[in-house]
Amino acid sequence: MADTCPKCGATGVGSDRCPQCGVVITLYQASLEKLRRGPPAPVRRAAMAPTAVPPRSIAAAAPARPSGSEGHRRARFMGSGAALFGIHVVNVLLTLLTLGVYFFWAKVKVRAYVLSETDFDGDRFAYHGTGREMLVGFAKAAVFFFIPITLLSMVPELTGASLRVRYAANLVGYVLASVFVPMAMIGARRYRLSRTSWRGIRFSLRASTWDFVRLWSRSTFFVACTLGLYYPIYIMRRQDFLTRHMWFGSQRFGFDGRGRDLFWPFLGMIVLFPFTLGLSWFGFAAKKARYFASHTTFGAARFRSRVRALPLAWLTISNLLGLVLTLGLAWPWVSVRSLRFAYANLSLDGPLSLEAITQQAQTVTATGEGLAGFLDADLGLT
Amino acid sequence: MRLDWEAADQDGRSAARRRATARIGRAALEITLADSDTRLLWPYREIRQTQGHYAGEQVRLERGGELSEALLVSDAAFLSALREAAPETRFHDPARRRFRVGLILVAGLAAIAAGGAIYLFALPAVASMAAQHVPIQWEHRLGDAIVQHLAPESARCTDAARQARIDAIAAAVLKPVQTGYTFRIAVADSSTINAVAAPGGAIVVFRGLLDRTESAEELAGVLAHEFQHVLHRHATRMIFQHASAGILMAAVVGDVSAVVGFGLEGARMLGELSMSRQAEAQADRDGMQMLHDAGIDTAGMVTFFEKLAALSGDPGRGRYLRSHPAPQERLAALRALSAQWPRPAGRLMPDYAWNDLKSMCGAATPRESPAR
Repeated sequence: MADTCPKCGATGVGSDRCPQCGVVITLYQASLEKLRRGPPAPVRRAAMAPTAVPPRSIAAAAPARPSGSEGHRRARFMGSGAALFGIHVVNVLLTLLTLGVYFFWAKVKVRAYVLSETDFDGDRFAYHGTGREMLVGFAKAAVFFFIPITLLSMVPELTGASLRVRYAANLVGYVLASVFVPMAMIGARRYRLSRTSWRGIRFSLRASTWDFVRLWSRSTFFVACTLGLYYPIYIMRRQDFLTRHMWFGSQRFGFDGRGRDLFWPFLGMIVLFPFTLGLSWFGFAAKKARYFASHTTFGAARFRSRVRALPLAWLTISNLLGLVLTLGLAWPWVSVRSLRFAYANLSLDGPLSLEAITQQAQTVTATGEGLAGFLDADLGLT
Repeated sequence: MRLDWEAADQDGRSAARRRATARIGRAALEITLADSDTRLLWPYREIRQTQGHYAGEQVRLERGGELSEALLVSDAAFLSALREAAPETRFHDPARRRFRVGLILVAGLAAIAAGGAIYLFALPAVASMAAQHVPIQWEHRLGDAIVQHLAPESARCTDAARQARIDAIAAAVLKPVQTGYTFRIAVADSSTINAVAAPGGAIVVFRGLLDRTESAEELAGVLAHEFQHVLHRHATRMIFQHASAGILMAAVVGDVSAVVGFGLEGARMLGELSMSRQAEAQADRDGMQMLHDAGIDTAGMVTFFEKLAALSGDPGRGRYLRSHPAPQERLAALRALSAQWPRPAGRLMPDYAWNDLKSMCGAATPRESPAR
């Protein structure tokens, strides 16, 4: 019996049913095993059995690197803007010819390229999402979220319902939309992590959607009440939530930032904003990136960021100019530039023992991703 | 041909990376793990390739379900060897990469052609079809909302007697027309020289325009033009077109959204303005026909649009930035139309001193009556 729940990561699970997420552990593991095996008929596998002996013991396989090696690891992007541009051109053509249906497959192609050209410690990432599941996710998000909200806001207006009905419909639409924004944020992140792997091990986000919705709606309320002064505390709590619920296989990420630490930098940024023509924002953004990284841990290792305000400002402004001047054609190069910048400034320092990490993939649908597509709530992958 | 290849194996269970040798067999890959002497046999038909289609990518072969085992080979020549040994497999052929630049060029041209065709033909067709199917009642409410925004109650000139005059002119213009629309004309207290037709029959005439009319026939010309916009559902079509052009842009631009939106908004506006030039020409033509059918002197419309042309200044420059057709072309078309008909004998409101109508908004403009 596992004493850690394979789905939500709750510890101290005594029985077969996890008290936190209610999953039946043996059933869950059986379904994971099924995913691992895949569709090929068992008969054929049996025929292969004498030669195909999957090694059960991990200890028997000697690691490529000494276990727990000290290090200073960083990701590198090995691809090129030109190749990404080629992918993009073909994507645009197929999207136009299919009247938009190909859009989801196009997204998968771009993500797969970017991840498979990203090297970390000698191994590439891989993307496992499919256009089909994204299309289904989009359709679900449209049926359950987007269409009801649109109808709620439009139909009473167009059919000339009484004022009271109109206000009620607007209120319901507003409440729905404000629940969907955090749902989309966490859903998209959960989906993308679950479809990303490194060394064959999937990432995952194991958190209750409602906890995040609560965090988000409470924080948004406070931000509004304090005229924005609560914002640095909100982003800290959000980062804390998202990081501490992120896993790589069976290993959890940690976060030890404190709520107040970004408050004074934020206030300083606001005060300086008019005098620096807004450039103080980049100072804060760089500080935030450094702070978040240095308070994120993975096992005994810790991230470190060296992002500085001026390079960040230059990157952002020149990217924006490049995009506007080329009517968006430069976006493959812009994306590659941003990736290279992010990777060059981020490292994972300290001992990393990967041998003990085992696969603990999560079953996730793409509905949150589809929802995020509607709301433009893109949180990025990293 | 090289048969043995350096590889790395991932079992999909742990994060350990195991060195391996992959030997290309007749019907299967034989994988030997370096450290444990374990041999795995991967039949080709169970293998799929998920990485290694682009320069710089490693070759990644997977076998099994979603959480599969994977074999990584960093040398792309492995693919060529694999194809040679097992031609029936459908792995990527690195030799085909050199055609890519040409293919991308062709795809780029095709994308431009397809995008252009959709933008120029499909979108307008879809928009006008959709606009024809919107219930008039919906258009009506939408139009009211737009008018509320353009000319709120507080900014309107409400003078019952003079409003009745305007309504009488509108009724005269509309006399020969059978339509489901109810037209409402509001006068807004603003110096803008313009009139706007919202969907559903709501029309706003700005004081600046009213001030420059010299007769009932001139105002009738303006109203006829705006009525035609409503009858042809130009504004409704524009709304559909705007929305669908946004979707097209999103498809072309792909993942980046907000940033590029800025740069592309300009291009989209230009396109729509040209669309609206066609609509303006149509409204001119059919509006004048409408006046003629109603027995109203079309010379008034010509005179008034001549005045507008004089006000808009240099006709040669900025043709594409103006939503209305180039003034000279427009006037020529109007004059030609008007000239083919004999002028009717009667006039609209022959006994009414037109300047009285201009004081609808309380005071005439200083230009019209310097005494005030």
